[in-house]
Amino acid sequence: MRAVDGISFHVERGEVFGFLGPNGAGKSTTIKVLTTLLQKTAGSVTVDGINLEKDPSAIRKIIGYGSQEVSVDDDLTGRENLRLQCMFHHLHKADAEKRINEILKATGLEEAADRRAGTYSGGMRKRLDLATAIITRPKLLFLDEPTTGLDPQNRVAMWEYIKDLNKAGTTIFLTTQYMEEADRLAHRLCIIDNGKIVAGGTPAALKAEIGADVVQLALPDNGAAADRARARQVLGPVAGVQEIKDYDGGLMVFAKNGPSLVPEIVRKLDDVDVHITQISVSAPSLDDVFVKHTGRKMRVEEVTPPRRMVFGGRRRRPM
Amino acid sequence: MSARDIFVEVGAVFSRWLKKTFRRPAFVFFAMVQPVVWFLLFTQSFAKIADIPGFASSTGTNSYLTFFSAAVIIQTVLASAMQSGIGMVTDIESGYMDKMRVAPIHRFSILLGKVMSDGVRILLQSIIIIVLGVILGVTFATGIGGVLVILAIAVTFGIAWSGISTFIALATRNSEATLMISILTTFPLLFLSTAVMPQGLLPDFVQSVATYNPITYVANALHVLVITGYDWTTLGYGLLVILAVGAISLSATTVMFRRAVAS
Repeated sequence: MRAVDGISFHVERGEVFGFLGPNGAGKSTTIKVLTTLLQKTAGSVTVDGINLEKDPSAIRKIIGYGSQEVSVDDDLTGRENLRLQCMFHHLHKADAEKRINEILKATGLEEAADRRAGTYSGGMRKRLDLATAIITRPKLLFLDEPTTGLDPQNRVAMWEYIKDLNKAGTTIFLTTQYMEEADRLAHRLCIIDNGKIVAGGTPAALKAEIGADVVQLALPDNGAAADRARARQVLGPVAGVQEIKDYDGGLMVFAKNGPSLVPEIVRKLDDVDVHITQISVSAPSLDDVFVKHTGRKMRVEEVTPPRRMVFGGRRRRPM
Repeated sequence: MSARDIFVEVGAVFSRWLKKTFRRPAFVFFAMVQPVVWFLLFTQSFAKIADIPGFASSTGTNSYLTFFSAAVIIQTVLASAMQSGIGMVTDIESGYMDKMRVAPIHRFSILLGKVMSDGVRILLQSIIIIVLGVILGVTFATGIGGVLVILAIAVTFGIAWSGISTFIALATRNSEATLMISILTTFPLLFLSTAVMPQGLLPDFVQSVATYNPITYVANALHVLVITGYDWTTLGYGLLVILAVGAISLSATTVMFRRAVAS
């Protein structure tokens, strides 16, 4: 079986590129190929001008990888975890120590730095994991579902942190199963389903592809038949309007560039004495985009948080 | 990749494992309690073995404690070596292996750093046993020099044997299976060797099994060093067996490891 089949995309320097798709779509497989963890059966990958097949170790020097599951060493302290990562990247000691202190501060782990990671909370372990991925200042950072398993508060904090990293110049490739996350973070994104890319572009462009905004008109008395008829008559010919549908409180107008049509709609209805009690315009969401391309709603499967039980403040594992 | 880079990355893996080892209560148990239990339990219960006709003449000592000290070293080395693979599986399971694989380090450094830390662990455990033995009254016929050779044998044999455990671990990718297979193979091999009983006193069929059991040759080498003195033939056989076991187990492990961390 192919987890990923014939996908092709290009990530620009300095952007946040999102890979949006449900569980099992092939997101992790893609990220594992790109981070040199998994060998692909066909195709070619180039990172910063380096061919993945020819020189994987050159790629490893410039990338960082935050896996979906937190992988910090619980027997070691936060500081020791970071120090190891610096050694894996052959940093000089003085430089490493400076960076470690900086990053502990930036991730709010300063106080817990000399405690074993096994005693950390889930959010702290996730932050430490991210810290180990970025301490080497990668040009390109891969994040596999960075907020899956986090509570809403930690999720928002993680979003801010990712944005800051990007602003500081790190190119970021992230996978997510959350529409909102892709919408908020990604400059451009691909929607992946069953191992294939079904759509790609900026979130705005993808949504614009839907072709219509929804202008919702609430009418007095839930829309008398006469009002509805007159409204249909005057709004039908308006340029950009694609479809008018009844709903129990009034009418729904599907139109291109809905917001810019609002003044005209109001004017036309005023001309024929149809009053509006409320008007709202909603842009299509990425949910609509996913539905359009796959014909079904994307179901987010909340996996159990990737932290295991903590007994007496410290996790035990067989030796 | 410069020599400094390799030194730093192997050092990173090595120091990580040493820290992990010494921060675990299990290590203290395996290193300290188990040898004590073995020494006290077996040497007390089986003290009369030394009175069996032929024991003193074939071994060169009339103290079972002295004879048995080699078995304690071997048992501890085997038990310690058998745990080596488990750390490797835990790393694969937890994703830490991937973390190392994404870093620009040589794949072999991951294995080398681990093996080196296993060697240090086994060295420390062997020192503890020897100190314990001296306290209990074991005398070493070859003196300090002999003790150093004993330690060298313990460490090299331990590293060779740890290859078996790492191979099983990488093949099964399952820490419980690794532990089970390890225990199931270690104990019978120990008792089907000359470690706990001189060759001449073993039943015939055990004698023939013991002849093909690598542990026999390591036990014989330790026995002569503790009891009688440098017997180069016996030591030579011991060295050959350790080299053979090490060559087979470590190359099998390397192949498995390559497959596990491919690319």
